[in-house]
Amino acid sequence: MKVTNRIRGRLRIAGIGLAIASLLGMAATVFLTRPSSRLPYHDSFASGQAGEWTAFGGTWELANGAMRNDSDERGAKLLTGSKDWKDYSFSGDVELLGEQGDAGLMLRSGDEERGVDSYRGYYVGLRSNDENLIIGLADHGWIELAARPMPGGVHAFEWYHFKATVRGCQITAIATDISTGAFQQASVIDKDCVPQGRVGLRSHSSGGVWKNLEVLPSTASERDLPQASPLVAPPKLSYAVDELERISNPDRVDASSSNKEQVIDKRPDGATVNAVPVESIGGLRLIRIKSRRTTVRGTVILAYPSLYVQDATGGVAVIASSETHLKIGDEVEVTGEVDVHDFSCVIRNANVRLLWAHAPAPALAVTAGMAATGAFDAMFLEVDGDLWATEAGPDNTLLLTLRSDGQSFQAIIHEGRGSASVRSLSRRSILRLRGVCVVDSLHTHNLTPFLLLIPSTDDLEVLAGAPWWSARNLLIIGLVSVTLALLAYLLYIHARHWRLQAIVEERERIAHEMHDTLAQCFVGIGFQLQAISNGMPKSMHAVNEQLDLACELVRHSHEEARRSLLTLRREFLESEPLHSALNTFACRMVEHGSIKVLTVVEGEGTPTPYRIKDVLFRIGQEAIANAVRHGNPSVLKIEVDYRNAAVMMLIADDGGGFTPSGDLRGFGLTGMRKRAEGISGTLHLSSTIGSGTQVRVVAPLPPRLTLLKVNRYVWRQGGRGGSNDSRNDKKNPYSYRR
Amino acid sequence: MSAAVAAFILLASLACNSSPPPVIAVIPRTTALVLWEAEHAGAEAAARKTGFSIYWNAPTSEDDVERQIAIARHSIDRGAQALVLAPDQALALMVPVRNLIARGIPTVVISSPLPIPPGGKLSYILNDEEETGRIAADRIGFILRGKGSVVVLGIDPDITGIVNRTQAFETHLHIKFPGIRIVDERTGGFNIAQAQEVTEDVLAREPQLDAILALNSAATRGAFIALKTHGMLGKIKLVACEQELIPPLVTGEIDSIILENTYEMGYRAVQLIAAERRGEHVPEQITLSPKLVTRENLNSPEVQRMLTMNWRSSD
Repeated sequence: MKVTNRIRGRLRIAGIGLAIASLLGMAATVFLTRPSSRLPYHDSFASGQAGEWTAFGGTWELANGAMRNDSDERGAKLLTGSKDWKDYSFSGDVELLGEQGDAGLMLRSGDEERGVDSYRGYYVGLRSNDENLIIGLADHGWIELAARPMPGGVHAFEWYHFKATVRGCQITAIATDISTGAFQQASVIDKDCVPQGRVGLRSHSSGGVWKNLEVLPSTASERDLPQASPLVAPPKLSYAVDELERISNPDRVDASSSNKEQVIDKRPDGATVNAVPVESIGGLRLIRIKSRRTTVRGTVILAYPSLYVQDATGGVAVIASSETHLKIGDEVEVTGEVDVHDFSCVIRNANVRLLWAHAPAPALAVTAGMAATGAFDAMFLEVDGDLWATEAGPDNTLLLTLRSDGQSFQAIIHEGRGSASVRSLSRRSILRLRGVCVVDSLHTHNLTPFLLLIPSTDDLEVLAGAPWWSARNLLIIGLVSVTLALLAYLLYIHARHWRLQAIVEERERIAHEMHDTLAQCFVGIGFQLQAISNGMPKSMHAVNEQLDLACELVRHSHEEARRSLLTLRREFLESEPLHSALNTFACRMVEHGSIKVLTVVEGEGTPTPYRIKDVLFRIGQEAIANAVRHGNPSVLKIEVDYRNAAVMMLIADDGGGFTPSGDLRGFGLTGMRKRAEGISGTLHLSSTIGSGTQVRVVAPLPPRLTLLKVNRYVWRQGGRGGSNDSRNDKKNPYSYRR
Repeated sequence: MSAAVAAFILLASLACNSSPPPVIAVIPRTTALVLWEAEHAGAEAAARKTGFSIYWNAPTSEDDVERQIAIARHSIDRGAQALVLAPDQALALMVPVRNLIARGIPTVVISSPLPIPPGGKLSYILNDEEETGRIAADRIGFILRGKGSVVVLGIDPDITGIVNRTQAFETHLHIKFPGIRIVDERTGGFNIAQAQEVTEDVLAREPQLDAILALNSAATRGAFIALKTHGMLGKIKLVACEQELIPPLVTGEIDSIILENTYEMGYRAVQLIAAERRGEHVPEQITLSPKLVTRENLNSPEVQRMLTMNWRSSD
C-alpha cells in the first residue's frame, strides 16, 4: 500500500513538472515566433499595422501605407525586431521631408534612449547637408565610418531605395535614386563591431517617410556585397559638417528645394517680416465682418487630417486653398478669410507660408472643466480623464469617451501604430491625452462640450489602470470565493471521513488482537478448569461446585468478549442495517431472560453512511445496556425511522424509569451526547418514574452533492450555523430543542 | 602545489571583486554639435585616465528644459555617481540640481552658472563671459577700424552666461570704441530658421549695417544663411560666439569665432569629481578663457583640440 502511494506521489510530481515544462515551452514558442522577432520580417504598413514598432522621439504615424515622421527632431527613432538578430539585410524606400537633415535605416541597434545618438548600433542614411550616403556607428556618441557622395545629390521629396547589410563585422549600404536609377554604395569593416541588435528608422533635422521595409537573414552564400574599404582616419564627423561647396553655392540649395517651393509661398523680394499686418489668433473671434481677410502667425499643432495653428493667444482651424506639406511645430504665416462660428472660427481659402521649422510645442495642461468653457478652442492641450468607452469612429478612427471634473469629452485617434493597445485599454483607466481641443458642433455634435483630436498614440498616456473593484472583477472574485469555500467544505468532509476511517481501522486491529489473545486465553482457561473438574473425585462437592461456577464464569466471559469483539468489527455493521444490528445486540443482552425485544422500522430505503450508522449503534448499545441493567423492563422497544433527511433512533423501555434531573453518572449519558454531536445529531432523553425511559437520537443525513443540490445544501448548511435557528427546528421533526 | 592553489584563489578573489567603473553623467545642453561634442571628447579623455565611465546624453534641442531635467534625474536613478551639467535654463534647473546635491551627488555645472552659490558638492567651470565680450568688442573694433554700426543677435535671457557676455560686449565697446554704434539687439533662442528670419528683418531695417555679433550657435547659423541669401557674406562682418560653421571661417565668409573651451570644461569636470571622490579639496569655481579663432590660427593644435569631436580618441 505504501509503495503504491509513493508511486502515485511521484507520478503526480512528474505530471506537474511536465505541465509546467509544457507551459514554459509554449510561452517560449509564442515569444520566439512573435511577428517582430522572427526573420524574415516584412512591414504591414499597407494594411495599417505597426504595433510592433517603438518610438524614441519624433511623430511617427502611418499615412498612405507608409510610416511617416513629420518632426524635425534630431535623432528621432522608431525600432522593431529582436535584439538577437545578427547577420541580416534591411531594405526599404525612404523619402526625406527636409533639406537640412538626413534619414535612413538603423541596424544592430540596442540600448536605445531618446536623444540624438542615444543608441548603440549602426546607421546608414542619406544626408542632404553634404549630399552623401553615410555609414556610422553610434555608441551614445557618433563616429562616422564612411561617407560617399550620392550621384545627383540628395533631395527632399524624392524616393530612394536602401539596402543595408550587416554580416560579421562588415557593414554595407547601397542607396538608389528610384527616379533616376543613380546609386552609391559604401562598405566598411568595423573591427570591434556591434554583434547583434534590432532594426530601426531614423531621421535627423528632417522628417521622413519609409515604406516597403524588409529584413532578411544574411547568409554567407550572398555574393552581392561590395568590397569593404578600410576606415579613413580620423573619422569624419557629422551634423556640424557644412561642406564648403554646398554652402558657397546657393544655386544648389535652390535647385534641391524646388519641390518644397510648390507647397510654401515665397515671400516677395524685399518684403520684411513686419511689412505684413499680423493679427493675434485670439482676436479673430471678435471679427463681425463676414469673410474678412486676415493674416496670422503661429505654430502648426496638427497637420493631418486638418490643419490647426496656434499662437500665444489662441488657436484656429485653417482650410488651405492648396495642398500643404507642413509638419507639427512649423512656424507659419496664414492669410485667408475668417469665418466665425458660435464658439470657434476658421480661416478659409488660406494661403499658408512656412516661416521656419521647429520642434513641436508642448501642450498646455488644463482640466476638462477648463477646456469645456471653450476658451481653449483649437489649442494644443493636455487633459486627464477616466476612460468610459472605446469604439470605432468614422474614417478608420478610434473614438474614446472620457469623464473628468463632472464633464464628459471625447478623443479621436486615427488607427495605426499603437492603436491595438488603445483598443485594449480597460474602462475606468485614468488617461492623459494631448491633442487639439475642438468645440465646433460639427465635431462634437453637441454631445460633449469639446473633443480632442489626438495627433499620435504617443500623445496618450495611461496614468493608472482600471480600479480592481469593477463589477466584472467583483463577480469573478465572488465566484472564486464560493468555489473555494465549497472546495474547503468538501475537503473538511473528506478529512473527517479519513479520520473516522482511521479510527475504524484501528478498532478493527484491536478486535483482531483481542480475538487472537484474550478470547483464546478464555478457551484455554475453560479447558484447564474442565480438566481439573473431570479429575476431581465426586466426593469433593464443594470444590466441584466452585469449579463448575468458575467454568460457567469463564464461558460467560468468553461469550461477552466474543460479542464485544463482533461489534468492534466494521464488517458487523457493514453487513447489516442499523436496526438489525441493534436488534441482534439487544437479543443477546436479554438472552435467557424475560425481556421482550420489539423492533420497529420505518422506510428502509435510505442508505445510511457508515459513520452515522456506527455512532447511532454505539449510542443504541449504551441505551439498551442501561435499560437492561437499570430499568428492569418487560419490553424493550427499538425504533429506527429512515423516512426523512435524517435518521431517528428511539430506544424505549417500560421499566422503572428515573428522574432525569438527578445524578445520572454511570449511565454514559455524556458520552452519548458527545457522540451525537459528532455527527451533528441531537439526543433527547425522557424518563419518569414508573413509566420507563426513552432515548431519542436524530442524525441528519448528508445530501447527495449533485450540481442541482449544491447551492441548496450550502445555503442550508450555512443557515445551520445559528444554534437557535427556528428554520432548522421546523425541518427536523425529531429535535429535542424544539 | 599549494602555491598554485593560493595563486588561483587570489586571482579568483580579484576577479570576483572587479566591479564596473563608477559612472559620471555628462549632460550638455544638447548633443551632436561641435560645441558640445568637444566636451564629450574632453570628459572621455579624463575618464580614461581616472577610471570612470561616462554616460552621455542630452535633449535633442537646447530649449527642451524638461527633458534635460528628466535625463539628469534618470541618469542618477540608474546609478550614475556624479553629474556634469551644462544647464539649458538657469532658473528651471536650480531645484533639480539642489535636490541632487542634497542626495550627495557631486555636481559640476559648466559653461553657464545657476543661481546657486558654489561649495560643498557643487562646483562651477565657467566660460569667462567678460573676456568673451571684451574679445568680441576688440575684434569688431579692429575690423571696423573704430567706426560703424553693429547688431547683436541671439540674446537669450534664460542663459546667464549669454546675458553677461552681452553686457560685457556693450560696456567694452562703448568705452574703447565709441565710434561704433549698436543699432539693434535681438533676443533669440536655438531656432536657426527663426534666427535667419530675425537677421533678414535687421538687414531690411539697417541697410548700412557693418557687422553682426552672433551670441550663440543658432544665431550664427541663422545670420550666415540670411547673409548668404542676400549676398552680403563678407560685406557685413560676422563675428560669432560658440563654435559653429568652421568651414566658412577658412573662406572668410565668417570673420571670426570666439571659441568656448568646452573640451577643457569636460576634462576638468571629470578631474574635479575624481579629486572630490578621493577626498581632496576642489576649487569651487574655475573660469576658462575663450579663444578668438580666425583663418590664421584655425589649424593650431590648441584650436584643433578645442574643436575636436572625436570622443573615442586616446589623446
